[in-house]
Amino acid sequence: MTWDTLVTNSPTFILGIPLLFAFLTALSGRFSKKIGDTLFFIALIATAFFVSLMSYEVLTGESWFYVFGAEQPSPENIRSFFRITFAADGFAVLATITIMITAVAAGIYSYGFMKFETGLNKFYTLFLLTLAGVNGMVLTGDLFNLFVWFEVTSVASCALVAFKNYRGESVEAALKYMILSTVGGLVILFSIGLLYGQHGVLNYALLREGITGSFIDKLALGLVMVILAMKASSVPMHMWAPDAYGEAPGSVTPFIAITSLGSLFVLFRLLFSVFSLTVVSGSILIILGTLSMIIGVSMALVQSDLKRLIAYLSVSQVGYMMMAVGVGLATLNTGDYDSFGELAMQGGLFHMINDGVYKALLFLSAVAVVHVTDIRSLNDLGGLAHKMPYVTFFFLLGALSIAGIPPLSGFSSKLLIYKSVYLYSPILAIVALVVSIITLAIIGKAFFNAFLGPDQGLVKRRVSKTMLLGMGILTVALVLFTLFPNIVVTEVVTPAIDALTETFEGVIP
Amino acid sequence: MSWESFVMMMPYITVVILMAIGLYTVLFKKNLIKIIMGIAIMQNGANLFLVSLAYRRGYIAPIFTSAESTDMVMPTPHALTLTSIVIGLATTALMLSLTMMIKKHYDSINTEDMRRCKE
Amino acid sequence: MKWEMSRVVKTVTDILVAPIIIFGIYLILHGHLTPGGGFQGGAVIASSTALLIIAYGTLGKHKKDLSSIEAVGLTLFILIAFLGIGSTVFYNYITGTGFPFGGSLPYHGPNPGYINTGGTITFMNLMVGIEVAAALSLILWMMSKRGGVMEPKGSSSKKAEGKD
Repeated sequence: MTWDTLVTNSPTFILGIPLLFAFLTALSGRFSKKIGDTLFFIALIATAFFVSLMSYEVLTGESWFYVFGAEQPSPENIRSFFRITFAADGFAVLATITIMITAVAAGIYSYGFMKFETGLNKFYTLFLLTLAGVNGMVLTGDLFNLFVWFEVTSVASCALVAFKNYRGESVEAALKYMILSTVGGLVILFSIGLLYGQHGVLNYALLREGITGSFIDKLALGLVMVILAMKASSVPMHMWAPDAYGEAPGSVTPFIAITSLGSLFVLFRLLFSVFSLTVVSGSILIILGTLSMIIGVSMALVQSDLKRLIAYLSVSQVGYMMMAVGVGLATLNTGDYDSFGELAMQGGLFHMINDGVYKALLFLSAVAVVHVTDIRSLNDLGGLAHKMPYVTFFFLLGALSIAGIPPLSGFSSKLLIYKSVYLYSPILAIVALVVSIITLAIIGKAFFNAFLGPDQGLVKRRVSKTMLLGMGILTVALVLFTLFPNIVVTEVVTPAIDALTETFEGVIP
Repeated sequence: MSWESFVMMMPYITVVILMAIGLYTVLFKKNLIKIIMGIAIMQNGANLFLVSLAYRRGYIAPIFTSAESTDMVMPTPHALTLTSIVIGLATTALMLSLTMMIKKHYDSINTEDMRRCKE
Repeated sequence: MKWEMSRVVKTVTDILVAPIIIFGIYLILHGHLTPGGGFQGGAVIASSTALLIIAYGTLGKHKKDLSSIEAVGLTLFILIAFLGIGSTVFYNYITGTGFPFGGSLPYHGPNPGYINTGGTITFMNLMVGIEVAAALSLILWMMSKRGGVMEPKGSSSKKAEGKD
């Protein structure tokens, strides 16, 4: 096996390795706990390796369509194949990098956090299955696979939410999430049926040629959009998110959040690459995004539970991305795209990768607080900074970044969003700015309540080293994005935008 | 509408009825088991939709063993249906076992009683 | 409480289990020729387990074994898929060679349905069949009242150490 084989097959390894190791860890339960732990970390590191391999090849060389079961990985004429395809392009790279950073951090964090639980090999299995599902969702190049990986993600992440099944709340949150996801999956299946009946193909690139904007196309687009926005915890359908984020085992909370970010990636890919109804869908995205921002942040105002507070803030952060990318989509193919549409896209997609990192950091440090004190209510917390300096620092970094305070990476992406959205509609930019200020107030209040003040002796346990390491990885990523935002935007985000707007040009001969 | 075209439309009408019944059950029933049954009905509706999409008059099923003619329908919707049935099994099993745990913790399977998360 | 069914049920079960399993294996092995295949065959095999659970109320101590069989089936499935990595994953590298199930067919048109064809598809069907049979039996066993999900209240609280 040569190096080139590894490189061209890397998209399948990103899925295959988590799947393989998921079943191996399930098997290892018979033998010893150590084997399960080792296999889990091997799987995480190997998947991260193949993600970087694919990213390097796409960002320095060219992107390719991977066709399963063919004699060559990317045959000359994909039209002759009714086969499963993966699209390894700039957008997939952005999405998989975002997912992998959080997955590695959450995985390492879990090792220290879940020590007291039994049946950990099943936890690892579910974690790796979710990882494979999310990566599959963003990598896939046809609707058939989208449905399959969507359901794999749903089932595995719901089971993860319910992992502590001795707590009624976890099971309740998981069941709510599960019912919504299952109905959502069925609606997606229905709209896939509509599109297949109309056009006879399921491949994104071939479907793109057939889409004309007929009634059936619009119906399918609307159904898919609603469901993916629901999974992305956008506002009218956000009710499941605070429950699931709040009640999942702490260490996987950011990972559940990443599955909703993955759905958002898929939504953007479908809107840009498959459906060419740019103005309508862009406007809908802007409306949903604005609603998410406002309602998310105003629900966060009244929360006293730390994890639910961050969950509502993450709903409002999703609003920023939807609004920015919506502006880019609404101006696509018009003169405005060059003047500010592309800037909005850059802001939106850069905010996604930022959001993945600082949201995970916030969640993990909040979970560390709950872990050491057994208290979730902000009213009862206080003075933790004396005993937990590292966690305080991590939480502060995440808090400043989510509020968009200047030197941090959250500011860089939000500035791009303000600048570009202002040119589209000043009101939207003002709303975004106000929401950002309220976010600062909310997260500032949470920080003061939990960490500052006299030491109240609430600390019952120590934060283990692996938990600190997990948060440390996220901090390194956050600092890198803070120091070099221009490099991230030009090297990672711009290829992703090109992949979205060029929509598989040159793939079909 | 002629009788002929009405007969051709029958599967789609059934799909709409099934989906509507399923959605109604999911939205308006309070019993968890009934909600899961509603989801199963929706699943069957979606599967029936895919299978009826694949039907072409005068074509035969895509089985090559001793086939008489080569006019076969595309098996893609059938594959999608099979996949969805398999996934439906997994989701139904998971939802039912979650319901069993809910029963254990809350001593009820009424959605009205599932309010602990909000506190 | 001991689970006891009448002699009639037990006898009928004893008679039926073997044909059901054989029919399941038939479905799995003909998966590349006729409708059927791994999932369907596995489901048929699992229905024999359902009969056993109803008649005898237990699968003995085989819960862990079923779980392991399931994992082994899935692992082998992925490995078989990845063996084609020289071309692509899921590439059918067996067909056309002399390996069992490696016979070749004309590209187009009907055929009499030789079982010695299919290549990797047959082996994958086999793995899926093993997986589904084990997994479905496990699900049925866990959901039947004696499988362990519905423990009496309080018995599972010993796990509640790390609160969240």
